[in-house]
Amino acid sequence: MITRRAQYEAVRRVVGPFLAELQAWQRRYKRLRRRGGKPKESPFGPPLESVGPLKDLMTRHYLEGRYADGAVPVAWVTSGFPVELLRALGYHTLYPENHAALCGVQRLTPEYSDRAERDGYSRCLCSYARTDIGGVLLDKTPAGRLPRPDLLACCTNICQTVLYWYRCLADHFKVPLVLIDTPFVYGEAQEHDLTYVRDQLAEALTTAERVAGRSLDWDQLARVVRLAQEGSVLWGECLAESRQRPAPWTGFDGFFHIAPIVALRGTEGCNAYYRHLLDELRDRVKKGIGGVRSERFRLMWDNLPIWFNVRELSTQLAEQGFNIVVTTYTNAWAEAGRRIDPDDIFGSAASAYTNIILNEDLDRRLALMKRLAAEYQVDGALLHSDRSCKPYSIGQVDLKDRLGAELGIKALLLEADHNDPRAYSSEQGATRLQAFMEGFQ
Amino acid sequence: MSRPRLGATGNMSKQNLPDRNQVIREQKEGRGRKVLGVLPIHYPKELLTAMDVLAVEIWGPPGAPRSAQVGRLQSYVCAVARNALAFVAGGGADLVDGFLYPHTCDSIQGLATQIPDFGGAAGKAALRYRSPKGKARPSLRRYLREELARLAREIEALTGRALDPERLRWSLGLHHRIDSVRAELLDGRARFGGSDAELYGILRRGECLWPEDHLSELERVAERLEPGPVQKGTPLLVSGIVPEPMEIFDRLADAGAYVAGDDYAAIGRRVVREAPDLEGDPLDALAARMLAAPPCSTRSSDLGERLAHLDWLRERGGCAGVVLHTVKFCEPELFDVSGIRSHLASRGLPLLVVEGELESELSGQVVTRLEAFVEMVAAARGNP
Ligand code: SF4
Ligand code: SF4
Repeated sequence: MITRRAQYEAVRRVVGPFLAELQAWQRRYKRLRRRGGKPKESPFGPPLESVGPLKDLMTRHYLEGRYADGAVPVAWVTSGFPVELLRALGYHTLYPENHAALCGVQRLTPEYSDRAERDGYSRCLCSYARTDIGGVLLDKTPAGRLPRPDLLACCTNICQTVLYWYRCLADHFKVPLVLIDTPFVYGEAQEHDLTYVRDQLAEALTTAERVAGRSLDWDQLARVVRLAQEGSVLWGECLAESRQRPAPWTGFDGFFHIAPIVALRGTEGCNAYYRHLLDELRDRVKKGIGGVRSERFRLMWDNLPIWFNVRELSTQLAEQGFNIVVTTYTNAWAEAGRRIDPDDIFGSAASAYTNIILNEDLDRRLALMKRLAAEYQVDGALLHSDRSCKPYSIGQVDLKDRLGAELGIKALLLEADHNDPRAYSSEQGATRLQAFMEGFQ
Repeated sequence: MSRPRLGATGNMSKQNLPDRNQVIREQKEGRGRKVLGVLPIHYPKELLTAMDVLAVEIWGPPGAPRSAQVGRLQSYVCAVARNALAFVAGGGADLVDGFLYPHTCDSIQGLATQIPDFGGAAGKAALRYRSPKGKARPSLRRYLREELARLAREIEALTGRALDPERLRWSLGLHHRIDSVRAELLDGRARFGGSDAELYGILRRGECLWPEDHLSELERVAERLEPGPVQKGTPLLVSGIVPEPMEIFDRLADAGAYVAGDDYAAIGRRVVREAPDLEGDPLDALAARMLAAPPCSTRSSDLGERLAHLDWLRERGGCAGVVLHTVKFCEPELFDVSGIRSHLASRGLPLLVVEGELESELSGQVVTRLEAFVEMVAAARGNP
């Protein structure tokens, strides 16, 4: 245990920062070498400098994870779980959804899913879950090694699927599963809904303390909550820069830069990163630098990204002057921050984590999309009909029709899957997208 | 073009299921009762009965979707939800006064907002039962009671009548008697001389009959139980969501098997064996009764508890194999398949997984698989 802790601290304090510095140095060196050379033809604006620090931050996070189990308590957590509680108890947290997305980008899902399918997990199930479970069964990850969990922490505010998935993980790892079950919201959350969530937070805390072998330091929790709130606001400000014309980055960039607010929410590292990104985005706005070289049409994206196809899709769009300037997915992490109140931690957390886009009725979702469409002055919408994600996709056919009828914007439903390339025909997708774009000319 | 009717549901009508529209009319006009179309699966039926509301369950209906409204849901959503949308939004359930949407899974939860918000049941009340998930714990028990009280207020608004605690006690007692007879029939399956198709036809009449009428029918059938076993075929345990198409029972029988243990979410998982406490607060008793139901994936019960329950069913019925008859794209149930498979394998028990889409009849391929499975199980127990 002591050796493990020493290794973990060494990685956290020495190896991680050293590697980050080394990578930063390599980037500077590459830039110097590139100077003077002819820039490659690209439909995009100059790449964001913040990509480097983003990679460093996430690499360090996964690197620390390799040495975390046995050194500090480890929790595997769903993206909508009130992680502040665990953070304040000293847990290293791992987000299987974020890790699955990493696998998705690298097109590893078919291999991992095959393994899960061999064990009886149907291909009809969410591809994040199949990727994660397959990775666990294969004991493989592109991150080198994942720490074994001591605790599983699940919140149903994004879907009920995560609970089925985490029940399987709990059975596999034989570790406790804490659950925050958030009643679905019609209009406004009711008093007994919020009381239920608050009560569950208290129950989850008891289990998390027992597993961590320590009691919660409430001052530390208040600090973490403040950081989480600040991080969420900063993330919202980064997104809001795309209200400018041209938008200084693309929605596809946002899909990648969301990683810290999902996986490192409530840490100074996360906030420092977003301050850096915000400065860069503001600077680009000032200089009129766009995410795409010549922005002609602005689009909204609904649902998760198609992780394995981001480059192809974004290039096809950018080549014809289309930019995704807002996405309901990345926006979700900015909305929650508004409700967090460090002076009423459990009460405000109950409200913040219950009022999440996927836990709210479709009337509210439509109202949100209409508000975003107006704020970001979009000309059209792309709705990714995601085979794997029922909660996000049910209602999209009607949403598409209503966006068209009520806002007069063009909208396309694009059938795909967020992680599994076997459920997507890129030729067909490209053809449909092309026809959609031609409608704007 | 004539409207699709609740009673005209392919195989179900073949199994002597009642004409639902006729039942609805009789209850509304003859008894002055309100009627709710109820989506699957678990809901506090006792509360509806106590408040004089007839529950008519909407399981699809099976077969091809009943209207073009099905296009409002993508093809990767399960057939139970898609057919329900097509049916409800196509006007198939126009006779009911409203709909009750239990938050069974992401798909029904989606319908619970899609239909009322975006059209399909204009002028009909939309009631929701947001069932809590996970293990019973103090927070869940408190919430469940509050949620039942909230639902009761919604029903009061629909009926214009207040919930009478005495009437709820009466209803709890009635449903306990119904479940006791259902349990007796399922447990005593080997002593029932009729076919599975007949038995399930009777059990499923409870999906739309007024509960007292259903109880009388069940009691009459229970009188036919013999003192000793009369079934000679290969005993199987069947689990899954809903027995559709009901042809599955005929095909199992043709192959020489019968259902000796039932774990369908629509059937056995709704049979509560514990007697309710009728002395205290009836809403507390109702909440306790709901939590005493057998483990179910849609309630996110603990997997270990579900496996233990399957063992219990299997041992009690002497089942020599298990058929998991589930619905394609049904996330709650499909996540459990792996755990069930390895659990049964560790006990040397054969398992057949059949995924359906609420077809009106089984495909030839599924029939062949069922036949081969029964043959294999029979051979293994030396019972060719
Ligand atoms: S992709 Fe959808 S179904 Fe899968 S975990 Fe995320 S919200 Fe749930
Ligand atoms: S079959 Fe499964 S996914 Fe479909 S409505 Fe029933 S529980 Fe939900």
